[in-house]
Amino acid sequence: MRYLLRRGGFFLLTLWAALTLNFFLPRLMPGSPLQALRDRTHNKLSPAALQELLTSYGFKPDENLAVQYVDYLGNMVTGHWGVSIGGSLGVPVTTIIGEALPWTLGLVGVTTVLAFLLGSLIGTVAGWKRGGRLDAVLPPVFVITSALPYFWIALLMILVFSVWTGGALPSDFNYETGLQPAFTGEFIGSVLRHAVLPSATILITSIGGWILTMRNNMITTLAEDYVRMGRAKGLSGRQIMLGYAARNAFLPNLSGFAMSLGFVIAGSILVEYVFNYPGLGYLLYNSVQNVDYPLMQALFMLFTVAVLVAVLACDLATVWLDPRARAKG
Amino acid sequence: MRRTKLVPALVALALALAATACSPSKQQPTPDSSEDIAADMGPHKQGGSVTIANVTGQTWTCQFNPFNPAVNQTSNGFVYEPLVFVNLLQDQAETPMLASSYEWNAEKTSIVFTVRDGVKWNDGQPLTADDVVFTFELMKKEPATDLYALWTGAGLQSVKGEGNKVTLSFAQAAQPYFFNFANQVVIVPKHVFGAGEAAASPATWANPNPVGTGPFKVDPCTANNIQYVANPSYWQPGKPYIQKVQYPAYLDNGPANQDLASGKAQWGSQFIPGIENFYLNKSPDNHTWSPPVTNVALIPNLDPSHAATSKLEVRQAIASAIDRARVAEIGEGGQQPAANQTGVVLPTFQKYYDGAAVASAGYDKPDAARATSLLSGLGYSPSNPLKLSVITVTGYTDWDASLAVIKQQLAPVGIELTVVDLAQQTYNERLFKGDFDLAYYGQAGGPTPYYELRQILHSANTAPLGTEATTNFERYKNPAVDALFDKYPTADDAGQVQIIKEISGFMLRDVPIIPVTESVDWFQYNTSDIRGWPSPQNPYAQPAAFNIPDVGQVLLHLYSKSAQK
Repeated sequence: MRYLLRRGGFFLLTLWAALTLNFFLPRLMPGSPLQALRDRTHNKLSPAALQELLTSYGFKPDENLAVQYVDYLGNMVTGHWGVSIGGSLGVPVTTIIGEALPWTLGLVGVTTVLAFLLGSLIGTVAGWKRGGRLDAVLPPVFVITSALPYFWIALLMILVFSVWTGGALPSDFNYETGLQPAFTGEFIGSVLRHAVLPSATILITSIGGWILTMRNNMITTLAEDYVRMGRAKGLSGRQIMLGYAARNAFLPNLSGFAMSLGFVIAGSILVEYVFNYPGLGYLLYNSVQNVDYPLMQALFMLFTVAVLVAVLACDLATVWLDPRARAKG
Repeated sequence: MRRTKLVPALVALALALAATACSPSKQQPTPDSSEDIAADMGPHKQGGSVTIANVTGQTWTCQFNPFNPAVNQTSNGFVYEPLVFVNLLQDQAETPMLASSYEWNAEKTSIVFTVRDGVKWNDGQPLTADDVVFTFELMKKEPATDLYALWTGAGLQSVKGEGNKVTLSFAQAAQPYFFNFANQVVIVPKHVFGAGEAAASPATWANPNPVGTGPFKVDPCTANNIQYVANPSYWQPGKPYIQKVQYPAYLDNGPANQDLASGKAQWGSQFIPGIENFYLNKSPDNHTWSPPVTNVALIPNLDPSHAATSKLEVRQAIASAIDRARVAEIGEGGQQPAANQTGVVLPTFQKYYDGAAVASAGYDKPDAARATSLLSGLGYSPSNPLKLSVITVTGYTDWDASLAVIKQQLAPVGIELTVVDLAQQTYNERLFKGDFDLAYYGQAGGPTPYYELRQILHSANTAPLGTEATTNFERYKNPAVDALFDKYPTADDAGQVQIIKEISGFMLRDVPIIPVTESVDWFQYNTSDIRGWPSPQNPYAQPAAFNIPDVGQVLLHLYSKSAQK
């Protein structure tokens, strides 16, 4: 119990520190929302009117920073995240995030789960048949691909599968612009087609890590006595591979997976940027570009909370699964 | 209109590498024959649909408040209309819109608009003088809606309505502001903006279903696309000819340009690198015509604390050394013309241009020898070069290319130029506050050179170093030039031309900025079905879709060929 309280207290403390950083970091950035707006409107409009406009959207540059900070902490907790003062000038931050979140969860979330499952499976088989044909090909290939930069793979994908094929697979956006979002076959098909290249990019670059750890864990586990015992009992190879070795080798991967889920929400900024996929990563890029304080704050907070919750969940799961973690608590 | 970014530029590079058999062909605006222009005059049958590819870098917010500058390019011209349209490309040619006529008093301090009869808002209510008065009064009541500083800067004193007449009275002659208050301000309905939520906060109201007088209505808007349908009760009978407009949200130039090349979108409004192979050669129906409107210039810091750039000889040397035609050819791929030292954009503002003065000042052609001797007079030479840095924006690849050419041209005369690529935010901060030796920058303009030059040169637009200047970033202060600008509003047409020529003289003498290339209105168009586009023969409006309210004029001219049968 004391352990849980300590974890909870630590969670709150980290959250506060992160929120504080989220408030001050954007304000230490060069530039101001007004300058960004002046630039976007080509300096054609009266700076006084623009300043006035930003003020009516809740931008208060002249207010005492300490007062702003206290207001900000309160607003973050109560869900009053404000209105965008950047590219989507005037749209409530919650609306903007609400529109982008499902796309990121769908794209990056599904792909992360897929990469994890596929990677673990390949790692299991490769570790089981050490030195076999599969082991000789897949792990090295994917280790190399995960060392390649995201955006480079993305550009290559666009070139090969979109440009060279004359646009067979779309290279940008989340669905065909002419369509209305609806539960029709056409719309869902369009969404899936637009997700192919970005998700393939994420899959290719992230699967290697899972394969490698799983394979190595398998090899260690396979040397354990209980595996030999299983063999001695005359169990089938498949039973030993999955029920004896993989089951235990899987545990470290699982906690790694819990952690990586936290990062799903932050999207894959570069992938979303290259494919113009209107998810949270693209939103973050845009908000930084336009010095959009309210949107940046809300996004940073979401990212921090997601990672912190994932870590906390991971901690709790470990306590529940592994008695050794509890012992000293 | 977003400039090309790094990643898409890489894609473009990859494309260029992948492209085989590059057949060079001359880039030309493909002149329409005079028959076509006659055919374009109309009237035409209604029908057809046009798709716009104008990159805004974000999904649509589906807000249509004309006072919100982040979104008004999707409402002004489409749904909302001004009193009078002023054409920048045709020597301020005017098209009466919601005002059927107007009259200045002799001193040009007061103007009376006659509001057009028979105009209806798209909810069926009639447009009245009350609406016009309300629009201007709103800007006084809500400073955030006064985007053109009419009540504060232009000296607007009062707005009075009587019958179908509306009188605007100014503290001083206000003719130069006509472009702003008649052409850029759009009229909003009092019965909508004066009631409920809109009345409580007119500047920030979302306005999801805009009620306007314009040729189109929004139906529907999603984050990815705005569809406009023709307003059946539009006040110009038979118009618009085009019945639907699709305006997809493009996050980046790459996909927008792809859609233009494939013909999926017909109306382009951004830079296409390697336009010959990428766009023009793809179809005989693909055309481009990008009229120059303003300058892209090297802005030297004239503050005495910047010892080198505040010296006239240094600026003269730079202005002489740069071969502007080569910068335009190499840096901008020939898609922007070279600028000249007077800052008068050619050929758009030809009548204000004093070619003889440019020649006698020696800026009609590059003169490296003069630059070398000016710099050696200051003790600099290629072996002992003057070190200067120029700030520009990361990702503006055409600017980078232009500056690389400039750097090469300055080296042999004794200037070592360092190009400093900055993130947009940092660049803005340093440009506005004057923290640079040289900056590469382009201003917005207006219907005569007065607007751009006044922004650049008038001392009212500057500020001390460390404080944000409005538009005079080089910090030029000259009472004689200020006096010329202040005389401009009361002068007649010939007098105004004369004043611009005198100001050009100061541009040649003081070299306050060094114009390098002319910034253009990027425009590509496909004629396979849609006709009636603005062209060099018929430049009836600025052609790029981000120009408001010009976009409305273009929409009123477009028609579908297939609908004419």
